[in-house]
Amino acid sequence: MILASTVPINGLTLSHYMLTSSLLLVIGLIGFLTRRNMIVMFLCTELMLQAAAIAMIAFGRYHLDVSGQVFVIFILTIAAAEAALALALVVLLYRHKATLSAEAWSELRET
Amino acid sequence: MVDKLWFLIPELWLFAGVVVISVMGLCKARGIRNAVPLVVIGFLAVAFIITPLLYTDDRLAKVADGLLIPMLGKYVKMVVCAIGIVLTMLSIGLIDRPLEQAVASGRARFDPIRVSRGEYFVFFLLSLIGVMLVCNANDLIWLFLALELTSLPTYVMVAISRPSRKAQEAAVKYFFLGAMAASIFLYGLALLYGSTGTIVLTEMRDAFAEQAAAGGLNRLALVGMVLALLGVSYKIVAVPMHFYAADVYEGAASAVTAFLAFVPKTAGMLAIILLLMTVGWSGHLGPGVEGLPQPILITLWMICVLTMTLGNIGAMLQRSAKRLLAYSSIAHSGYMLIGVIAGPALGINAVLFYLLAYGVMNTAAFAVLGALERKGEEIESLDDLAGLRHRHPALAIVMAITALSLVGFPPLLGFLGKLYLFMAGVKAGHVALVLIALINSAISAWYYLRLLGLPMLAMPTPTSETIVSRPVIWPRVAALVTAIGVVGLPLIAGRLLSASEAVIQTDEVSPMVDQFDVSMADQPAEDQRAP
Repeated sequence: MILASTVPINGLTLSHYMLTSSLLLVIGLIGFLTRRNMIVMFLCTELMLQAAAIAMIAFGRYHLDVSGQVFVIFILTIAAAEAALALALVVLLYRHKATLSAEAWSELRET
Repeated sequence: MVDKLWFLIPELWLFAGVVVISVMGLCKARGIRNAVPLVVIGFLAVAFIITPLLYTDDRLAKVADGLLIPMLGKYVKMVVCAIGIVLTMLSIGLIDRPLEQAVASGRARFDPIRVSRGEYFVFFLLSLIGVMLVCNANDLIWLFLALELTSLPTYVMVAISRPSRKAQEAAVKYFFLGAMAASIFLYGLALLYGSTGTIVLTEMRDAFAEQAAAGGLNRLALVGMVLALLGVSYKIVAVPMHFYAADVYEGAASAVTAFLAFVPKTAGMLAIILLLMTVGWSGHLGPGVEGLPQPILITLWMICVLTMTLGNIGAMLQRSAKRLLAYSSIAHSGYMLIGVIAGPALGINAVLFYLLAYGVMNTAAFAVLGALERKGEEIESLDDLAGLRHRHPALAIVMAITALSLVGFPPLLGFLGKLYLFMAGVKAGHVALVLIALINSAISAWYYLRLLGLPMLAMPTPTSETIVSRPVIWPRVAALVTAIGVVGLPLIAGRLLSASEAVIQTDEVSPMVDQFDVSMADQPAEDQRAP
């Protein structure tokens, strides 16, 4: 049984996975805050979700516990639902202004 | 497992309602389409009635080990259903109005692809189901999915709430920031899982108790908890995730704004309570554990103080009534966090009571805005409220009472809520926090009194003269019902408080219920002149 094995595969340890996932989270966050294309911004939030998913799987393997993997399946479902919603909203906006830039939309602001 | 299903009957019942409504909304007969909101009210009313019947002692005993706060659901589900009914009234006549008018006058044919009223109420109910599911959460998956079920429908509701481009812009802002916050929340949950090796909340509590006994929580757990708190602060519109509130609240229709300020906020508050319950407040995990771990306490403290202060300062600068109420919503989240910091003995009950109080007051304020319009467009500016008393006296009185209650003027509902929160804060030893909150309350009087003074004292201006009330009567009914709630609920405050106290049984017997009963009995019912 794979789960029962505690030998690291190819020398990869939990820290490697945690490094990857935290990098993904930070890249996603920075991308979200700096990019202005709505599709790219959405992809950045997806990156952040997947960062959490990688962390879940790595921890699940570390603790020899399947619930982390189960969690990831649900995360993927939520990500799919969010993707459907995001594309619908972006299409809605694109029909009005024919641009994907978030800066074209600034009717709502402090006066 | 089967025992747990008993407590999900209200949600399952409402889900049956979702199925019924989604079909009814597409019916060709106009009468059936118009009946959709009434059916929603019917389903919510039945859920309200059956909830207390399901929470019997023997059923609770079977699930008590698996849930952190087994009784949470009874109180929360009843509150959510009751306020859901008022919110439904407020939404009547909002969606598809031009289309339905055209169909009624024979200018257009009914086209099932273009109607969205059924869908609106489907998402409305799904979001309410989400909040109700949060209180049954026994593991992190459930908690996350319930929170997402609360949020995802609200994005759609904002987008279809009115035909203006503002609503669509608001929906996109709300959605993108919401997705970002959800990811941060989820990463926090991943770290919590990593630190304990389990996703079941009760097992997490035991694992944290072990860690605490062995010399403090490990760093992974602390970082995870802080990230989760920051992520969920989006749902309760707290700093640092508060900045979207003004824009989104302004862009959405008033009925949806009232929904946003109550439903996701309740879900977020419950999630915070459940997560902190695993870490434990003072004495909660047993001897040797003193209060919340220091880093978490400091984070909460900063969120609480900044939320109150920035919310109130922001509200002072606004000229739009909806933006003002958005900032007031931020400030009220700050007040509620005092109860969260104070802990289960008193604070959580106070938070639960305040959620009800805030839900009623906030719905009343938005119901007044939602009941008025100018040329089919909602009113937004504070100036539009000037001299409201001359043309719509009942709505002006509702607005005045609500503003007083939001300030915390005795003996209205908001006063009791705040009193209870602040007393919990003092009793838990957070005097400085309560002092800051009191100063903030004083600041808030400055802008809430504009909501009182403009409709009641100011003279109508030429622009505010053109305002009429919406043709359907239901938003005005909602305003009236909530105003009666603001004035009348303090009379049964003792019972409401004991209901919220029953949620968290602690060994410590709280004398507060009795005090309130006495003080309320002393109060002559002088403020019963409801409009």
